[in-house]
Amino acid sequence: MNERDRKSYLAAVTDRFVRGGMDRREFLRVAGKLGLGATALGMGFGNRPFMLNKAVAQEQLKPSADVMAWLKDVGKPFAGTTLKLATESTPPSNAINSQLKQYFEEATGIKVEIEVLPLEQVLQKLTLDVASSLGTYDLYYIDQSWSASFSKDVFDPREQIEANAELAMPNYNIDDFLPALVDGISKYEDRWVGVPYDIPIFIMIYRKDIYEKLGLKAPTTFEELLNNSATITKEMGPTTFGYAGQMKSGHYALECEWTSMLWGNGGSIFSADKKFVGNDERGIAALDYYTKLKATMPPGVDGWTWDGQGQAVAQGVAASMLSWGEFFPYFDDASQTKVSGLCEAVIPPQPIALRKPSECGYGEIPGVGHQGGSSLAVSRYSKSPHAAWIFMQWATCADTQALITALGGGTGPTRASVYDDPRVVANARVGAGTTRHLPVVRETIAKYMGSEPDLPQWAQISSDTIPVGLGKYFAGNYGSSKEAMDDIGAQIETIVQG
Amino acid sequence: MPIVQVKRIAISDSPWPWLLPLIALLVVFTIYPLIYNIWLSFHEFAPATRGLKFVGFANWVQLWNDTRFWSALGVTFVYFAVALTLEIILGMAIALLLDAELPGFGVLRAVLSMTLVIPPAIAGMMFLLMEDPQFGVLPYLLGQFGLLDKSTPILATSSLALAGVLIAEIWQWTPFMVLIFMAGLRALPVEPYEAASIDGASSFQMFRRLTLPMMSKVIAVAVLLRGIDLFRVFDYVFVMTSGGPGTATYTVSLYAWQQTFSFLKWGYGATLSLTSLIIVMVMANLFIRIAKVRW
Repeated sequence: MNERDRKSYLAAVTDRFVRGGMDRREFLRVAGKLGLGATALGMGFGNRPFMLNKAVAQEQLKPSADVMAWLKDVGKPFAGTTLKLATESTPPSNAINSQLKQYFEEATGIKVEIEVLPLEQVLQKLTLDVASSLGTYDLYYIDQSWSASFSKDVFDPREQIEANAELAMPNYNIDDFLPALVDGISKYEDRWVGVPYDIPIFIMIYRKDIYEKLGLKAPTTFEELLNNSATITKEMGPTTFGYAGQMKSGHYALECEWTSMLWGNGGSIFSADKKFVGNDERGIAALDYYTKLKATMPPGVDGWTWDGQGQAVAQGVAASMLSWGEFFPYFDDASQTKVSGLCEAVIPPQPIALRKPSECGYGEIPGVGHQGGSSLAVSRYSKSPHAAWIFMQWATCADTQALITALGGGTGPTRASVYDDPRVVANARVGAGTTRHLPVVRETIAKYMGSEPDLPQWAQISSDTIPVGLGKYFAGNYGSSKEAMDDIGAQIETIVQG
Repeated sequence: MPIVQVKRIAISDSPWPWLLPLIALLVVFTIYPLIYNIWLSFHEFAPATRGLKFVGFANWVQLWNDTRFWSALGVTFVYFAVALTLEIILGMAIALLLDAELPGFGVLRAVLSMTLVIPPAIAGMMFLLMEDPQFGVLPYLLGQFGLLDKSTPILATSSLALAGVLIAEIWQWTPFMVLIFMAGLRALPVEPYEAASIDGASSFQMFRRLTLPMMSKVIAVAVLLRGIDLFRVFDYVFVMTSGGPGTATYTVSLYAWQQTFSFLKWGYGATLSLTSLIIVMVMANLFIRIAKVRW
């Protein structure tokens, strides 16, 4: 065989191997005959990292036969219906939209149109739909901060289960949803505003290699977090900084991070008698702590939301962050970042002090693991509420959640059983779509989760009053942290009193 | 309708049959929304609950006492004045330069108009990256010339943020002024220039005494068109600063959008939009009278 033919043959064999048409042993045998051995094997692996994992996983990453059979059966009368959902770009929505809804559509004959929009536009569409009662959207994606506003415009899933027994998915098991998430995301007063659909939650993510190089340990307290971050910035700045924040003035991201700092320093937003107390002694200490931590961050942090923060870690600009766990699988993707396998996830640092929920107002739950998230619900104005209910059950059942998580979504499952699903556990290795951070996510939800207050004015307070005030403070427009917090407090009191 | 009647309408001298479709469109898309907006400004309307309450002039009183609104109005005026002034000066200077038929200037003219096809939100994103203190080219260049510490977050610094946004605005829309001014320059008669040249007038004298007066109507139209646009600025601030830091770049449009769609205060949002409309109409009419713009 001449050199040219040998190379062509090798290319064909490698292609077969990469596509899964030849096993590893056979490939090694053929490559050995060509005198290439392990070098050629390296070519195959180099082009497709984690190929074997994915190949094995692909076999399993199909909806369960039982679920498909139920969909086929229950969906028949609704074939030809089109359902619409407007949603933010979140891991569950993206996985369903790009990879999973085809299974639902094929089984039921129901078409699903998913509009992926920025959060503000989702709210805009929802509001117009509710105001007009037109039922343009059959399913509502409801951010936790909107629960109070839309609680009466959606069906309570418990009512749906009782009222439509013939449409109920076997083993849907509504009690499987983590109770902390039901309380934090999907409940307003005594109603369920849909079911928990998405749970981004703050966990601690740090660069193990940098920490080890400087002889540091993963931060377990707020004090350690500050000291570690300062050491890294001092030793490795200005190329690498100790910590990355999400501090864009006027953006909800800044409020999220500040809340975590506030709770971690023993403060709270409201007192039990529903007064703003972010300006008390603990609140001031929290802002002073946040200011010191900011000094360890890269200069651009004032303009970053969580995106900029995540990119700072992904690109090696920052060595740690307390942020949404769903970043973690992205960091582990060698084709997208420089830090694959270098980051570790741990529970958030222990708070200096922690106020009890009973000492706070409007259902606020202090906890460093700041929780975001959304619910999925069927609109009361939907023209096809039954078909929408079938879709909602399928989209939030344990089987679909496991697929979403295993496909690399990264978000923490909202059902307890999914954390132990073999498909999810199998992905707990370094690589794209890893789930190795999920035990930390689960523990954070159970023990360290912080939840924002529920009140109709919260959307304004959290997306404007607080982050605008903090933005002014960090831009140097206030004389002191006390002055800033007092001003924010005065504005909040005015808003709450209407 | 009988065919004879249709034919009669078609050959009628009356303008109404031809104007009616246009009037209908205006009523549906302009007059009705305007009236609805005025009606809404006297109500408190929570769309999520469809709670509608007549509140009289409460929204207007709130506007009067709203420091955020006055701050946003101030920012809008500064943005409007700085952008318009610089766009006119730069636009005229570049138009005069490109008016010369030098080799390669044809390509330059084409390149200039390319900025206009970029959506403002995309241009805002471009400048957001270019002004990043970590890897942005702008802080780096300013740092090289010793004008700014290169790690300064321009868009997060109160005193610089508005300038940071204005750079994007001016970069994108100065070519629009260039195109308008060049069209005007090309339509000017050559005789006055020939006469002035024989009389020994300098280039500056010719510009001041001939070009500017003859171009005044063109400049006035450009000012009117861009002025109205500038007063409604939204895209750049939304993308680049979200109004921050604090309220340093909050404009009236951004504030109206936020009240309407983020806080679902439709009544107050309508009041803010109407106020903006009234200000633009008054300013435009004053300008038309002062500059004696004729359409």
